[in-house]
Amino acid sequence: MTWTKQMNNRKPPMIIRLWHSLWVTLRHAWARRETVSYPEVKRPLPGRWRGRIVLTRDPDGEERCVACYLCSAVCPVDCIHLQAQQRDDGRRYPVTFRIDFSRCIFCGFCEEACPTLAIQLTPDFEMCEQHHSSLVYEKKQLLIDGQGKYPGYNFYHHAGVAVPGKTIGEADRDTPPVDHDTNLP
Amino acid sequence: MLGIIRIDGHEIPFEPGDNLLKVALAADVDIPYFCYHAALGSVGACRLCAVEIMSDDPDKVPRVAMACLEPASDGLEVSVSAPAAQQVRQRVIEFLMINHPHDCPICDEGGECHLQEMTVACGPAYRRYQGHKRTFTNQNLGPLVHHEMNRCITCYRCTRFYQDYALGDDLGAMRLRNEVYFGRFQDGPLESPFAGNLVEICPTGVFTDAIFRQHFTRVWDLKTASSICPHCSVGCNILPGARDGTLRRVRHRPHPEINRWFICDRGRYGHQYSEHTARPLTPRVAGATITYRKALIAATEQIKAAGDRIGGLGSIREDLEGNALLRALLNNLNGIFSAFNDPELEAATITAVNRIQNSDGTPSLTEMEQVDAALILGDLTAHAPMIDLALRQAYRRGAQLTVLHNGPTPLTQFAVTTLPVPPHEMGAYLSRLHERITASPASKDVQDESTAEIAERLAAARRPLLIGVVETLAASEIIALAQLATALGTDARLAYALPGANAYGAALLTLASRKTTTILEAIETGQIQTLIVAGTDPLGDTRLGSRWRAACQRLNTLIVLDCIATTTTAAADILFPVAAWAERGGTFVNYEGRAQGFAPAFKRLELLPSTAEVIADLVQCLDLYLPDAPAVLSEAFPGYQAPVPGSAGSLMPVHPLPTHIDTATRSDHEHHHKHWQAALTTWYGDEELASFAPALMKLAPTATALISPAAALNANIEEGAQVKLRGPVGTMTLPVQLDNRVADGTVALTRMALVQLGVGHGDLLELEPVS
Repeated sequence: MTWTKQMNNRKPPMIIRLWHSLWVTLRHAWARRETVSYPEVKRPLPGRWRGRIVLTRDPDGEERCVACYLCSAVCPVDCIHLQAQQRDDGRRYPVTFRIDFSRCIFCGFCEEACPTLAIQLTPDFEMCEQHHSSLVYEKKQLLIDGQGKYPGYNFYHHAGVAVPGKTIGEADRDTPPVDHDTNLP
Repeated sequence: MLGIIRIDGHEIPFEPGDNLLKVALAADVDIPYFCYHAALGSVGACRLCAVEIMSDDPDKVPRVAMACLEPASDGLEVSVSAPAAQQVRQRVIEFLMINHPHDCPICDEGGECHLQEMTVACGPAYRRYQGHKRTFTNQNLGPLVHHEMNRCITCYRCTRFYQDYALGDDLGAMRLRNEVYFGRFQDGPLESPFAGNLVEICPTGVFTDAIFRQHFTRVWDLKTASSICPHCSVGCNILPGARDGTLRRVRHRPHPEINRWFICDRGRYGHQYSEHTARPLTPRVAGATITYRKALIAATEQIKAAGDRIGGLGSIREDLEGNALLRALLNNLNGIFSAFNDPELEAATITAVNRIQNSDGTPSLTEMEQVDAALILGDLTAHAPMIDLALRQAYRRGAQLTVLHNGPTPLTQFAVTTLPVPPHEMGAYLSRLHERITASPASKDVQDESTAEIAERLAAARRPLLIGVVETLAASEIIALAQLATALGTDARLAYALPGANAYGAALLTLASRKTTTILEAIETGQIQTLIVAGTDPLGDTRLGSRWRAACQRLNTLIVLDCIATTTTAAADILFPVAAWAERGGTFVNYEGRAQGFAPAFKRLELLPSTAEVIADLVQCLDLYLPDAPAVLSEAFPGYQAPVPGSAGSLMPVHPLPTHIDTATRSDHEHHHKHWQAALTTWYGDEELASFAPALMKLAPTATALISPAAALNANIEEGAQVKLRGPVGTMTLPVQLDNRVADGTVALTRMALVQLGVGHGDLLELEPVS
């Protein structure tokens, strides 16, 4: 109680306070505007902005997604649905990949869970549609032709399975395969 | 005597002889482990189940030991959470992960991987080792099992199961040190009928399901329900997994008395029939697709028009409810019902069920593992694969197996005595054996040494088992086998491998034998206008197929309910596609008479009704009153209670079956030099439903005419020569393969060949070399 009284006793006289606030108002009237007239003017968004989700490709141009289902498992609103399939050459890919953006909360968990850096959130939020159904994106709408935020990463160069262009024993830090038909060291 | 051990302060009782790990797991105390398996025992290969054991002497430091190798002893103080034990486990995982590939996202085991779980539970979360990984090339192990050897952690579970438990010999460990390789000598399909269990037994992703791989989904997305395998009469408990309205895979579900941890490959991979591209999914009337309601109306009109001139065929692969409702409907309409389409199979199955009911109880699979001698009639591997696996366990425990067979059967390699017996002589041989067992010692002649040896072995056994395959036995031989069991005394156990998942229930509902013949004759004489066929294929798969086809031409309407595309569904005037077993609930009665319920795992997008539901809808359209399936069943079998899916099942109440059985069903012709006896030779994937599983069928043996070398020498036929076979319906030319497991005067043929020739097991046919 005594402390507030002291504070009140120290405040400047009324006239000074009035002139000060008027001065602040006037200064802001001629200051640079922070508001932009969206959508004519668009502000640059940071690269790590969590917006529209895309599926990226690896440096060789192949789909990065291996349909491991981790994104759909981690998704807190269950908006990702996919079905894995196997290519004849051994690469696994999602035959369907569907994201319901009317449910997506752009939390970015899918991107964190993705072990192949395939699914990425991009700085784009302009996705308004007239109908809910238009917000359900299929794989052809999600898959882009680039590597997105993480260039250079190719999951299969670290994995142990054989895919075209990489046989067993050719991954990073692999030794050539053991010849199991002999017992010689 | 029970003892007590203390694990981290909890007092846990144990049976003498148990090891610490088994005791702890039984008490729900988690000790991490890889190589231990309840069926395979301990080897101490993985070193993960390290625990700290306190010494009795307080001055001594506690020691770290492997729980799976340490016998439990009374008063032992064990710590799982001790820092020393934890450190050992962490180091073990870290070392295992040194060579483990960066595969989890593309590994089918991910989500149910033992290594993944143990690494999360004990191991370091990140890799410290920056060196190079050892790699292996993979082998092509056939269409069922996918091999990815880089993921191996050398726990030896695969070879211990494959070689030691299932007694297979084409998968083993190779090389040495940290380069041990588990595989075949050469690429090629795994030969064991139980190879699919490698998928479940492997704690990581070395062996994965090659079928599941084609439409892979993670375990957390699968819809499952307690289910029963529909592929043979053993009734293994299974767990079908489905997603997005399609069935993806089947795994075992433990039943303490039946399959425990394993199922056969037919059960694991035969489920593909429900996703077969030719499967009927929309109702058809006169070949045109139509809505379900319109099909019901069409069927109702035809049934009304037929009045009491109606017949119905249930099925040995159809559940109890569907069969019972169909029978109730036909009783209401004064029609005739049979659950069989082959009179001989009907007589044999009803006889077998009668004998099972009159015996002291058929042994379960776990009881079969304890027998010390067994007389096996026929090919158990093909007709009841899991009984074969149970007898392999009996063999491992020292049981002496005797196999009487008409054609090749894998169990012969474990038998003390194997005897090829032509189908027609089986009855005579069984009565000789019976005489030998019952005869006084003095009157025993010494001429037939093998018979004497078999008889003595059975008589000397403490727990002999007599088991016959019903599909390849006539009713008289089934009775003879039961008499043999009676002659051996009360310790002898009797079992029959029945022809279908619900053959037992079908026999109970058919009641009298010769019902099938009655229906067939009634159709031929025009007394039946409308025939309802539920889940069976009379036109396509029996020795009487041609007679059924001719008879069905006389029908006004053929109404078919089925979930696979058969000759009968193709000929149907009105077709109701029904749900496959995983899409509906029901009850199967297995070879012991154990009724087991199964629950629907999922619904297809087409929302197909079950057989019982279609019949209930028909009943409603016909303005009849019938109680629902459980009420019909409890009326038919007093004391019957529908078994709850997931429970151990309940034995069917004893139900009076006809004791007088027409035994003269098998045609006994004069043996002519041109006449050979046809014998059914099958393999473990041969079953009506499983034959629609494409991957399993890739393993089917090629069709040949198998004859014994001696008979071939007599008839002057060489191996590989083409022979022309002539049956009552058709002829076919097949290459000859010599096999000394085939009886003399017998030609062993595949089921497809028998259908084409129009002969059944034991029928006569003509064979002549093609010049």
